[in-house]
Amino acid sequence: MAGVLAVFPHLDSAVHAIDELKRKNYGDITVYSPTPRHELEEAAAAPVSKVRVFTLVGALLGVSFGYWIMIWISEYWPLVVGGKAIATWIPYTVFGFEVMVLVGGLSTVFGMFGLSRIPRLTMTVGYDGRFSHGDYGIFVAAAPDKSAEVSELLRKHGATEVRNER
Amino acid sequence: MAASAAPLSPLDETPRPNIPTAAVRLPAVKDYEQVDNEILATLRPSAGWFAALGVAILCLLIGAATWIYQIYEGLGAAGYHPPTMWGVYIITFVFWVGIGHAGTLISAILYLFRAGFRTSIYRMAEAMTVFAVMTAGLFPILHLGRPWKFFWLIPYPNWRLIWPNPKSPLVWDVFAILTYLTISTTFLYIGLIPDIAVLRDRETNPVRKRIFALLSLGWRNSDREWRHFTRAYLFLAAFATPLVLSVHSVVSFDFAMALTPGWHATIFPPYFVAGAIFSGIGMVFTIGIPLRKYFKLQHYITLNDLDAAAKLCLFTSMVVGLAYLTEFQIAWMSGNQVEQDYFWNRVFGQWAWAAWIMLICNMVLPLSLFSQKMRRNPTWLFILSIFINIGMWFERFVIVVPSLSHEFEPWQWGSYAPTWVDYAILLGSFGWFFMWFLLFIKQLPVVAIAEIKEIVPPKMSHAVHGHGQPGGSH
Amino acid sequence: MSQNTEPTGIKRRTFLKVLGASGAAAATVGCSPEPTGKLIPYLVSPDNTVPGVSQYYATTCRECAAACGIISETRDGRSIKLEGNPEHPMNRGALCARGQAALQGLYNPDRFRGPMVKRNGAWQPISWEDAYNELAQRLGGATGGLFINQHESGLFPTFLAEWAGSYGIQTLQVDAEADEAAAAAHRAAYGVAWPRFAFQDARLIVSFGADFLDGWGASVPQQLDFADARAKLENAPRFIYVGPRRSLTGLNADQWIGCRPGTELDILNFLRGQGTAEQAAQASGVPAATLTALQQELAAARPALVLAGARNARGYEIATAAAQLTQQSGGAALARSAGAAVGLDGAARYADLQAAVERMRTTKLPIVFVRGVNPAYTLAPQLDFAQAFANAGYRVSFSLYPDETTELCDLVLPDLHSLESWGAAQPVAGVIGLQQPVMDPVFSGTRATGDVLLELAKKVPATATRFPHATYREWLMARLPGGQQAVAGALNKGLLPGSLPAAPAAPAVAAAPAAAPATTTALGNGEYFLVVYPSPVLGDGRGANKPWLQELPDPVTKVVWSSWVEMHPETAAQRGIERGDIVEVKGPGGTFRAPVVPYLGVRPDTVAIALGQGHRSGTNMPIYEWGDEGVQWGYGRYARGVGDNAMKTLVASADAAGGFVWTGHKATVTTTGDHETIPSTEGSARQHGRGIAQAIAAGALTQPDAEHHGHEIPGAASHEFLPGLRSPVAADAQGTLGAPVKEDQGKNVGMYSPDHWSGMAKRRWAMTIDLARCTGCSACVTACYAENNIPTVGAAWQNATVYAVSKPGFNVTRGREMNWLRIERYYEGNDEARFGEDFEARFVPMLCQHCGNAPCEPVCPVYATYHAPDGLNVQVYNRCVGTRYCSNNCPYKVRYFNWFGYGEEDRKQYAFPEPLNWQLNPDVTLRGKGVMEKCSFCIQRIREAENRASLEGRPVQADEFTTACAAACPSRAIVFGDAADQNWTVAKLAEDRRAYHVFEELNTFTAVVYLKKVTHPGPAAAATAAGTAAPTTTGAPAAAPAAH
Repeated sequence: MAGVLAVFPHLDSAVHAIDELKRKNYGDITVYSPTPRHELEEAAAAPVSKVRVFTLVGALLGVSFGYWIMIWISEYWPLVVGGKAIATWIPYTVFGFEVMVLVGGLSTVFGMFGLSRIPRLTMTVGYDGRFSHGDYGIFVAAAPDKSAEVSELLRKHGATEVRNER
Repeated sequence: MAASAAPLSPLDETPRPNIPTAAVRLPAVKDYEQVDNEILATLRPSAGWFAALGVAILCLLIGAATWIYQIYEGLGAAGYHPPTMWGVYIITFVFWVGIGHAGTLISAILYLFRAGFRTSIYRMAEAMTVFAVMTAGLFPILHLGRPWKFFWLIPYPNWRLIWPNPKSPLVWDVFAILTYLTISTTFLYIGLIPDIAVLRDRETNPVRKRIFALLSLGWRNSDREWRHFTRAYLFLAAFATPLVLSVHSVVSFDFAMALTPGWHATIFPPYFVAGAIFSGIGMVFTIGIPLRKYFKLQHYITLNDLDAAAKLCLFTSMVVGLAYLTEFQIAWMSGNQVEQDYFWNRVFGQWAWAAWIMLICNMVLPLSLFSQKMRRNPTWLFILSIFINIGMWFERFVIVVPSLSHEFEPWQWGSYAPTWVDYAILLGSFGWFFMWFLLFIKQLPVVAIAEIKEIVPPKMSHAVHGHGQPGGSH
Repeated sequence: MSQNTEPTGIKRRTFLKVLGASGAAAATVGCSPEPTGKLIPYLVSPDNTVPGVSQYYATTCRECAAACGIISETRDGRSIKLEGNPEHPMNRGALCARGQAALQGLYNPDRFRGPMVKRNGAWQPISWEDAYNELAQRLGGATGGLFINQHESGLFPTFLAEWAGSYGIQTLQVDAEADEAAAAAHRAAYGVAWPRFAFQDARLIVSFGADFLDGWGASVPQQLDFADARAKLENAPRFIYVGPRRSLTGLNADQWIGCRPGTELDILNFLRGQGTAEQAAQASGVPAATLTALQQELAAARPALVLAGARNARGYEIATAAAQLTQQSGGAALARSAGAAVGLDGAARYADLQAAVERMRTTKLPIVFVRGVNPAYTLAPQLDFAQAFANAGYRVSFSLYPDETTELCDLVLPDLHSLESWGAAQPVAGVIGLQQPVMDPVFSGTRATGDVLLELAKKVPATATRFPHATYREWLMARLPGGQQAVAGALNKGLLPGSLPAAPAAPAVAAAPAAAPATTTALGNGEYFLVVYPSPVLGDGRGANKPWLQELPDPVTKVVWSSWVEMHPETAAQRGIERGDIVEVKGPGGTFRAPVVPYLGVRPDTVAIALGQGHRSGTNMPIYEWGDEGVQWGYGRYARGVGDNAMKTLVASADAAGGFVWTGHKATVTTTGDHETIPSTEGSARQHGRGIAQAIAAGALTQPDAEHHGHEIPGAASHEFLPGLRSPVAADAQGTLGAPVKEDQGKNVGMYSPDHWSGMAKRRWAMTIDLARCTGCSACVTACYAENNIPTVGAAWQNATVYAVSKPGFNVTRGREMNWLRIERYYEGNDEARFGEDFEARFVPMLCQHCGNAPCEPVCPVYATYHAPDGLNVQVYNRCVGTRYCSNNCPYKVRYFNWFGYGEEDRKQYAFPEPLNWQLNPDVTLRGKGVMEKCSFCIQRIREAENRASLEGRPVQADEFTTACAAACPSRAIVFGDAADQNWTVAKLAEDRRAYHVFEELNTFTAVVYLKKVTHPGPAAAATAAGTAAPTTTGAPAAAPAAH
């Protein structure tokens, strides 16, 4: 997709750029930073992640499966051991818990993958290796006719490099 | 808050509680550049590393060959002496599982508690956890009479629909250990993704670059990714925390659920968990202090971090010591003569030497950590950690062997003497563990780059005072 | 088991085929991970054998001279189990360990495969023809010679005498274990050598070293009678044992009086009113008070039975005095000639044998035969049998095994085993015990000595016509009353009424010399009295080549695969000797080297050693190496190099009756500084208050039970205690545990429901063990080994390959013995192990208790052990993965693990080298490497009985069958059955007020119910017998826990 990519060496200048871009509203903004910074989050003002939904659903599925499978196993071959009941749910809490953690944890991870669109095989457009290192990046998916204007704005805020991505 | 250009002067935002800023925590670390350079520098293989790896692999081969011999010959090759039906293998199993607890404790629990000293050591501890659990997982199979049938303990679908016995603590073990291995591995990997991205972006060799690109799942450090990443990491930590406590409780059920005197005690789960964390911290010192020296990470893993970890070590040591004493008190007050006989035998009987090794290493020596000088003395911490490892191995020895050799039936009271087979396989387990760990530390950063950067002051266009930088991601 | 195996109806035959076939298949499958199926050994079955169907042959046991009746279970032409013949007047269905082990003599891998000859020092096979010719030609020229034959009751001695007579050859019937002195005294007093002692009618039994439970006389019948007597509980006879060493018999006594060897006579004289207590005390080293108390007790308790088997230089006088004392105390009628063991009579006296050896040495005999005895081993070395033997012109052995004597011979003509050959015995007057082959010979190269002798006679011109009979069997039939027909009719029961022609006259009793030889009771500095005794397990050493017997713990010391020296703890402490320190005992004959076992039951001034071990080959062959195919000289792989031979310490001396003098010599003990862990199955000899072996004083039986209140204890009240019905299995079957919700009850309980078609949940297989009867003889243990294919693990080479320690019993020192049923021997009283303070021994057979709440079951991760609806705790070998968690969780420690592949032919640890594996029970699998095993209550017998019943369309009748241990038990202590059915004996016994469970506090609801031992405190209880007199109902007070 087309847009303008700017590289900022300084955190504060990047934040100011984001604020103005949001006010002017040229198009979707993607912010790159080597490490999560609250300043950027607040500037971008994105909604809270949906990952927790996956976590909840996975955990509920896990705990119910953990209990169910063990009770089913016990009932399938009803063998008395140690004079105990055929299906003893109390010790099966161990399975309930462990499977809850297992399924819940994994669904959280895969939910995160899905939401943040990874794994991806190519960097596609709008990424620069410096972003993992120390610099901050802003990619504006601006219409081609607006790109000059956006570049101008970014430079004003102190972008050391601005380039048009095709 | 609404987006505004205002809030950037460091002076008008007070630091988040419990997250000391870099100025305080890592005074010697100036900027992101330095972080990348210094940490990535640790990845260059050295002759010493190759030598160490060779030794580890040699030990592993010795252990593997011995195991093959034992499988052919039968378990009689090991030193079992009925009624002592469990021995070195189960002892070592519990030992490694215990070690596997510090990592997740540090990376998850301390994460939730916002303990600052976690940041610089958690990666290393997590790797240690994964490899320790991988090692521990071998032993329940190793000690089977018919190891080639181990999968019968797993409820795999088979056409006869024959299942394991869900009432057996050993089956609980299977679930606990496998879950723990999966979750802690995932946790380690998720934490690694941004750092692998760093490696990817700095790698020149096209092949390695490609590999890193795949491993990093195409991570781009975009705001969207960071947003979900931090949430997911938080929830994983929230899951891993009770998991840590549950796993070693389940392991302790192997003993607590039996009616063997010395095993049949409700105190076991907390007692085992404390012991596990204690031994884990011990192993963190054993591994981390040399690493800190040879990788020149002194200004990342600072004395403050060691001091804080040592305090945790001291605390868990006191919990464990309390558990030891409580056991004796329970036996004394139980009025159960079999139980009393056993505990008498533990400290004055044929196994007294092992019990005293345990008590001295785990209860007495760690008391030295009350002195700050000791806590801030890496050499002493290293020596102490060796004693802790020995002491914790003997704790499990004292739990397993004297109980079994001195049970209800006096006519069947026995003894136990490991043979070279037991020792060779024990050695092999260390080889296995260190092989993985050594391979890890030269491929992937042992200090979390992205998280260090969180507490290093970011570049500002306006002049910045060297303290009170806002930081942290949450 | 019933002897009638005629197939009743086609259904049953087909069923049994299937049963046997599957059993055999299972047996071979068990051998190795890869099942290899040898199903039926025959292509064409011989006549009247149905594959998989057992046939039962009655025959006669020849393991000792008593000639008990046995029934061999023969499956597919192989004898797989021996049990007592219920009809037989001697053993009445019981069978001792040595009798059980006859099978391992039959299938011994070291048996000669065929005749062998020694040519210039080297042994080589020879054909029977050549052997006959060579021997016939020597025989033809020979006049005079010697035939040393084993002492066996019946017609063979007669035949032998006739045969040998025609060549002027003297014959001797030798029994190294016989107590000639006692026999002679009995003849004089009661008219028969071995009367049947009516223990049950006595009020007091005093034994002066007469070990009537382990080897003195006919052990099994005596044990049956003794157990019956003790089972009378209230007015049962009290039993006092007098002697320097407390033997197994002594451990069954209520009181032990340890006197110096030889001074039994002084005590007896005092008891008979000659001399004062002080004199007797002076001589015997027993407190005068004790002797006076004994005298008073004898006077009070009439009739009393006094037996003596002191076996020292004054043995004959002592035995005579004992007989007179019996008469004085009105016990004459207690020694009955009816049912006397006449089979034991007629052995040559030691003196005669001694004379014969001397004759061999002085005059050059042309030819000497040896059959069934091993004089080179059992004679005192000072007699130097080998040298005398070498003097003979030609030496022929008929031995089955390469023993020491055979090694000295020129020619071996291997005999058939008694289970392969014909014969007849006279166990008691008026009854003939028939001996018939129970299977074809294991090795075609072996021939019955009788046949061989006949063949020889034909080849020697002089005697060619004298013996027309084709075979010894023919000769035998002609001599038996009633001949062929009568025998054919009687073979079914193995018993033929009538009497055999008298055996060659029993040697005349030497008249007792006027004055008994004075045994000085003075000991020089560092000297000890030496007590040598035949081992209750290995006998005079002939049992040493049978792994079952090597692995059977000595009933007293519990030592296996080894020799040992018994020494009082006080002496050991004073000499600074620890258990396991190796010492050298130097007797008049020579030195004996073995580790020390401190034993409470031997005088501090006495050391005791057992005969039976220490077999060696003349060429000092090393311990057997796995895979060695050569002839295993030194009595076979299992005997050679194990322990030391106690006979080496003795000198050839005879008592007044011409019997061998075993005890009373003086010896010195020197420490060697060496130490070894003694292979023993004993953990701690004390109960530490665990209440495993409980006892109650006879007096207390009538009083209300003090320690337990009301009827909460098992056995006290009528119906509180029904093992199984109170067991949670049944409760779960009723659904109260399995499904708390009402409507769910009865669901998912399947076979556990009493309404299930199988009705299994209605049963509860259980066992009662009466400790008042059990004597600790351990016959049940060997029976269990035989029935359940239990491997022996103690042989020197049965060890891991790499760190192997080639030491006999090494695996047992690591506690790896596999005895599903073990006899625990606990001491009570005398905790400080002081001499003079009496102690009590309690024997507890311990086996899987088949708990209703089995702790082993829930911990198994793969359901390899679970609870069968009929109360059995089932072990599924094929499912076991070997976590050994079940064993950790078993409070009784009765689960045994296969540390090595004991059942796999290609391993050095293989416990059944060909042809020992012929004995394996096809109904029981051989357990593979790495699985757990344990007592199954002989489930194969349970299912067989159930199936037979259902095929015959009837319910299983009460007491229709029983387990192997219960069947063998010579004191009838073990009873097995369905405790949920009041018709079974076991259900009634479980109601006995002596009944208790071991570790009842663990709430395991065991199916094994023990009946408390009953102690008989003496009238002067306080005086001497501290340990025994106290009416203890539980174990000893808790000793220092770590003290063991």
